[in-house]
Amino acid sequence: MADAAFVGVGLRSAHYPRLLERPRTKVRWFEAISENYMGSEGRPLEVLLKMREDYPVALHGVSLSVGGVEGPRPGYLERLRRLIDRVDPLLVTDHLCFTGAHASNVHDLLPLPYTEEALKTVARNVARTQEALGRTIALENVSSYLAYRESEMSEREFLVEAARRSGCRILLDVNNAYVSAKNHGFSAEEYVDGVPAELVAQIHLGGYTDMGKFLFDTHSRAPTEPVWELYRRAIARLPGTPVLIEWDEDVPEWETLEAQAVRAARIAEEERERQPA
Amino acid sequence: MSASRLERLQRAFVRSATFAPDASLVAAVTGGGTLSSAEAVDVYRRGYPARLTSALGETFEACWRVLGDEDFFAVCRAYVARTPSRSHDLSDYGETFPGFLGDGTALASLGVDAPYLADLARFEWAFKELFHAAPVPGLSPAALAAAARPDSRLLLGAAALLSFPHRVYGLWKRDRKNDAPIAEAEWRGEERLLLYKSGGNPIFARELSAPEHAALSALSAGRTLGEALEASGLDEAGTKELFAFAAEARLFREAA
Repeated sequence: MADAAFVGVGLRSAHYPRLLERPRTKVRWFEAISENYMGSEGRPLEVLLKMREDYPVALHGVSLSVGGVEGPRPGYLERLRRLIDRVDPLLVTDHLCFTGAHASNVHDLLPLPYTEEALKTVARNVARTQEALGRTIALENVSSYLAYRESEMSEREFLVEAARRSGCRILLDVNNAYVSAKNHGFSAEEYVDGVPAELVAQIHLGGYTDMGKFLFDTHSRAPTEPVWELYRRAIARLPGTPVLIEWDEDVPEWETLEAQAVRAARIAEEERERQPA
Repeated sequence: MSASRLERLQRAFVRSATFAPDASLVAAVTGGGTLSSAEAVDVYRRGYPARLTSALGETFEACWRVLGDEDFFAVCRAYVARTPSRSHDLSDYGETFPGFLGDGTALASLGVDAPYLADLARFEWAFKELFHAAPVPGLSPAALAAAARPDSRLLLGAAALLSFPHRVYGLWKRDRKNDAPIAEAEWRGEERLLLYKSGGNPIFARELSAPEHAALSALSAGRTLGEALEASGLDEAGTKELFAFAAEARLFREAA
């Protein structure tokens, strides 16, 4: 049976010096932002490949634009494939969104309308991506601050249908599910319960900021208590799923980040022990 | 062929995020939380310049120090408004920023008199490019000695050969805690520099004389060693010194 607590953290340059000392750590794997390494042959790639000698690494993209009508940018998939060939990652993931147009990349995770046309676009782009990369990818549900009036299904239905039609898997971001649920008034619990276990390749955990009028996915702090509770619910149903702590802004000391990973692992173990034999 | 509904929505979203809220997008959405639809669209519009300004700040950190927060952010706003990002990689953003600073309009509108700033930005862009370049195992001292014939063609490995009408390396190295105004003596005068990697990823800098710069430029342009030295005007002592440095730094690779 799979390990109940396979918890990793995002690899951030602030921690390079500490990590290169090869500290003893309970962190089991790392996730690297693909775009930070696709165009670099210098120090960032050197560090990533050194880390890869000791740990599994997942590649997590932010600019695939799998929901964009123009599809991935020219050259993007070729560069990503070259990086994959060098890193041999545990997983390759990106987001169920679009990130702009070829002439103007917004560098943001822009939500899609939950429509048949968007599903077809995603399926077409995933097929092209998986063929170019020679592997299955996983797509993450994003936080959103607006909803389209023309959506024909719920966010969860769209996420699951996109994965089923395209043959990709799901990176279930529990924090994003919580943020979007609060922003749009649906049940976060029903959302995480309703994602079929066989589709989930990874779980993300991060921190949001309460902006007063809405919740904002900032990744600038530890997960909040309601997100930990939602994670407990998710990992109970998805034991052994790789879990990742994301912290991108106001990145803390290594030990603070590691403590979040330890907490995620402990919760996974507790939920495993509750399961009937 | 007419654009599909999804294509029109996405174009409107990109316009809204990068320029100004598009009425068709605002009408097509509802806001999350207690945001109005216009406020929700504005969440995405505010994030765009912030991300690109952050990317510029990372690459042009010394320019930021020189200008201070207020003026640097004002220059970035003006640059971002006219310069879309076309790459998947935010660190690619800003290639034309030095030229933007160099045309003087943006700085003049702020009352900033810093004639060296565009050169400092060029230095920082070159440094960033070299930072991401693959280190090249250069010729060992023995291999360089064997290869250094008048008809041989030697190329620089991972390196950037720079020449500026203002002195900027000292400004780039300036202590971050030193907030004293920059004196004219610190930037007045020409500067020629070589930024290079020596087999690994650390980046080193060497100030070059005009003949040294001319010799390395000629070699980089594919001239033979004999032609490069003759054109540069380097004397025998200067040539020995340059090649002693090049051997130790493993600066050269042999042209294929």
